[in-house]
Amino acid sequence: MSLTLPNNIWSPEDLKELIGDLKQYAKWLAGYSIKQRVSSSSQPAEPPTLSPLAVSILHDLHERHALTQASVDKLIADLEAVEVVAPRLHFTFAAAPSNGLKKEFVRWCRDNVSHDALVSFSFNATILGGMVVRHGSHIFDWSFRRQILANRAKFPEVLRRV
Amino acid sequence: MATILQIFLIVDVFFVGVLATIALQHAIAHFRPRKQPETPPPAAVTAKDYVPPMMRERLAKESEAKFQDALTHSAAELQNTLGATAGQLDQLLKQLGAEIVGNELERYRADLAQLRTQAQTDMGAIRTEVEAHKTELEAQLQQELTAEKQRLIQQLDTKLADAVSSFLIETLQHNIDLGAQEAYLKSMLEEHKADFVKEVADEPHPAE
Repeated sequence: MSLTLPNNIWSPEDLKELIGDLKQYAKWLAGYSIKQRVSSSSQPAEPPTLSPLAVSILHDLHERHALTQASVDKLIADLEAVEVVAPRLHFTFAAAPSNGLKKEFVRWCRDNVSHDALVSFSFNATILGGMVVRHGSHIFDWSFRRQILANRAKFPEVLRRV
Repeated sequence: MATILQIFLIVDVFFVGVLATIALQHAIAHFRPRKQPETPPPAAVTAKDYVPPMMRERLAKESEAKFQDALTHSAAELQNTLGATAGQLDQLLKQLGAEIVGNELERYRADLAQLRTQAQTDMGAIRTEVEAHKTELEAQLQQELTAEKQRLIQQLDTKLADAVSSFLIETLQHNIDLGAQEAYLKSMLEEHKADFVKEVADEPHPAE
């Protein structure tokens, strides 16, 4: 498996949606091929409405080699394999992250952790700031709330120094 | 001391008894002259024959007067002796009594001094013990006060920390600016990069 995920696919949901679209396209492509073999004069059915991401992937695939049933099936198999083995990271911020921030973090993860890392985001205002990163069962809590509570015993010392 | 006094008194009584006996013998001899054993008068010449009655009567009177004088003198001497002895005895008894009283007083004083010393020693020991107990109680009280003070300070610090934490948490969660935190978030990732990468590499990645 030498597939490299494009940077605009960063979450497991994106990947799942892409695989779903590709399967739908593969199904349509199979039907279309059969119809073409049976009757060359028949009008092709309308292709399914795909997400821009799926269109972009298929376009890239078509630029490399012919867009056949086999190549689409192989692309789907590769993506499903990535879905199984790719490390999944979940970032929680204190506010909803912007797309720019998401891209930055996805790029950082794929550069430093794994080239096919799947990254998802959420927000929780109670962490106040910083972030909480979850990978499997492990949680890295770098939130402000955690730091405030962990350093609660130092408050009296700080207040005495004021 | 009492034994010596008793011996002295017994000796005095003995002498007084001897003197009284002698005086009694003289008195008996005076009033009851002993009958001389009748010796056969000389056959030829007696005193009556040679002393005239007048002279014999005068001699008898003179003898009686002299005896009376001697007896009076002896009685006076005996009286004087008895008075002196009584005076001496009285003086000795006074001295003895004074000595005995003095000795008793001295012993009493010594006992009293010893008791006072003992009492002072005991009082000193009691005072020392009371002081030690007082010091111990003061130290214990001080220790308890310090512990209580520390406990109150700890309690105050805990409540203060809780209050500050609650205040920060309550205040900050309404004013979150994630854009301002972007640099900090990236620095956190870079700071914990090694642990993060190791954790991801070590743990299997089951599909969720």
